Amino acid sequence: MKLIKKTNKYYLIFLVFLFPIMIGVDYYIIQFAVNYEVEDILLHEQERINYHLAQNKTLPPSNYLMKTEPLKENYNLVEVFRDTIIYEAYADKNVPYRLYSFNASNASEGQQLRITLKHVLLEINELIWWLFIATSFIMLVLGIGFYFINKRIYKWAWNPFFENLSKLKNYGVTIEKPIHLKSSKISEFEELNQVVTTLMAQVRKDFQNLKEFNENISHEIQTPLTIIRNKVVLLLESKNLDEKELGLMQTIHQETNKLSKIGKALTLISRIENQEFKRLDSIDVRAMITNIVSNMEEIIHFKELRVDAKLDVMILECDHVLADILFTNLIKNAVQHNTQGGFVNMQLDRKKFVISNNGEVPEVDMERLFQRFQRGNPAKRSLGLGLAISQKICEIYGFRLAYEQNGKTHVFSLFFKGQDADFLKQPM
Amino acid sequence: MKILVIEDNMELLRDIQMFLEEEGNICEIASDYKSAYDKIGFFPYDILIVDITLPDGNGLDIIKAVKKENIDAGIIIISAKNALEDKIYGLEIGADDYLTKPFYLTELNARMKALYRRKVYQGNRELFFNEIKIKPDSHEVFVQDRLLNLTKKEFDIIHFFVVNKHRLLTKEAIAEHLWGDHIEMADSYKFIYTHLANLRKKIAKLGGNNYVQSIYSVGYKFTDRE
Repeated sequence: MKLIKKTNKYYLIFLVFLFPIMIGVDYYIIQFAVNYEVEDILLHEQERINYHLAQNKTLPPSNYLMKTEPLKENYNLVEVFRDTIIYEAYADKNVPYRLYSFNASNASEGQQLRITLKHVLLEINELIWWLFIATSFIMLVLGIGFYFINKRIYKWAWNPFFENLSKLKNYGVTIEKPIHLKSSKISEFEELNQVVTTLMAQVRKDFQNLKEFNENISHEIQTPLTIIRNKVVLLLESKNLDEKELGLMQTIHQETNKLSKIGKALTLISRIENQEFKRLDSIDVRAMITNIVSNMEEIIHFKELRVDAKLDVMILECDHVLADILFTNLIKNAVQHNTQGGFVNMQLDRKKFVISNNGEVPEVDMERLFQRFQRGNPAKRSLGLGLAISQKICEIYGFRLAYEQNGKTHVFSLFFKGQDADFLKQPM
Repeated sequence: MKILVIEDNMELLRDIQMFLEEEGNICEIASDYKSAYDKIGFFPYDILIVDITLPDGNGLDIIKAVKKENIDAGIIIISAKNALEDKIYGLEIGADDYLTKPFYLTELNARMKALYRRKVYQGNRELFFNEIKIKPDSHEVFVQDRLLNLTKKEFDIIHFFVVNKHRLLTKEAIAEHLWGDHIEMADSYKFIYTHLANLRKKIAKLGGNNYVQSIYSVGYKFTDRE
């Protein structure tokens, strides 16, 4: 959920809760204020009546007077406010009144009076209704206000945040130059920028170190490997090795070769990852495939493979070296993992290159087939880096490499991206 | 022939020196840029073997210096870098060959001899091994002066053998020489075996001896010695 929706949601929930509380509180406050005012009026009236009684010895005319009763001797009642409802015939309804009863003495008659004054009150239903309307209106205004203010803040205050976010989305560790995040007056964003900038610098540094380490190690091992291998050959040349020693030497020899190949393959992978192959050659894929197949003529002949190729003209724009590695790997894969007397079918058109071959059922998980050091057949002496390299190359050019298996038929499909797509032109 | 090997790893340097001297060459060594530069100025060498990464400089600069001073020596680069552009650059500035580490000394030997032959004899040199005569440039092999009808790979094998006579050639070294990196080792063994069998038959047909000895199961030697 977007932040703006989230905040708006909580504002709305808050307003919904606030609504009845506001009405309730308003109701009591208004009622209190009205009662206070009414009581004030009644108390004033009491004073006026008392004054009149003292001066004129008569009861003055009063709009508020409800009734007067004579009080018995020494029968002293307290002054009291009360609420009551009186039926008003003119309106044909019950009307709420505030009553005030007090004692007064009429000097002329020497008599104690119990006087009760009344004042009409606001009707509760009406009050609540008006309050509801007023509060609703306030709420509506508040809600709309919140919404627009929020939207405004979201646009204005979060603008640097979104700009930086889109910058970060396009960021990768392989990109050489550091990105500059847009600064913001909001301290939280500024802090985030600093943290992210530091983090990126660290990540890039680590990546560079790792890259250098990778490059160095694959180079540096080659010289010692040369020495080891040549020493082994020298030892093998000496004639007095027994069976057991011979076995040991052979193993050292083989493993040295393997190590050297791993080093070379990993160097290649990291060079591809570092995007060192930037050339955009126009490659005649058909010619390239034909050439690769003819280079493998010997092994194809030896394995008695039937090679069937339906190749259309296809010009691909990518680095020549990478294209060669990619197609060589795919074809080599199909030839090498083939059975004696099997087949290789190739099909090339503008959209894809499909190569299928016979082979044993691989024991490796299909999903992990493209990972490093995965071998279809562990008994074979391949390193399991060929497909990982192919996959890397595909990643760079946005090709898709898919694998399918039907019993003993293995199908690799390489989907090119459209020739007019701008990915081909993008600087790498 | 006179060879100068420039390489910063002493162990590898001595191995190369020992191997080349056993092959009847005069071999000097230099383990850094400065001593290499000094030696080039003083002595005429037929072949320079140059490692690119040196402790005090770059092997490519040595090549540039050699070319600038018009020293007529064949140059082979030995480098741990296997990148095509490095090779192209090396050859562009005047190197004659580029060998990637790890390499077999027999491979270095074959490349060196081929280079020397091209440089000194303009290719018109025949290789002899008893009754076998090889004309490397026309890819012809004669047994007792009768032309042997060989395939390309069979020629490559016998040429490689004669250049490295009396030496152990491991199957890996042969495979690398014939096919480069482009072949699965397990497959290449079968090919080598097949090619060798055909080669033996063809040589025997013309009355030649079988000089190919299988050494344990690791490789072969082309020799008339016991």
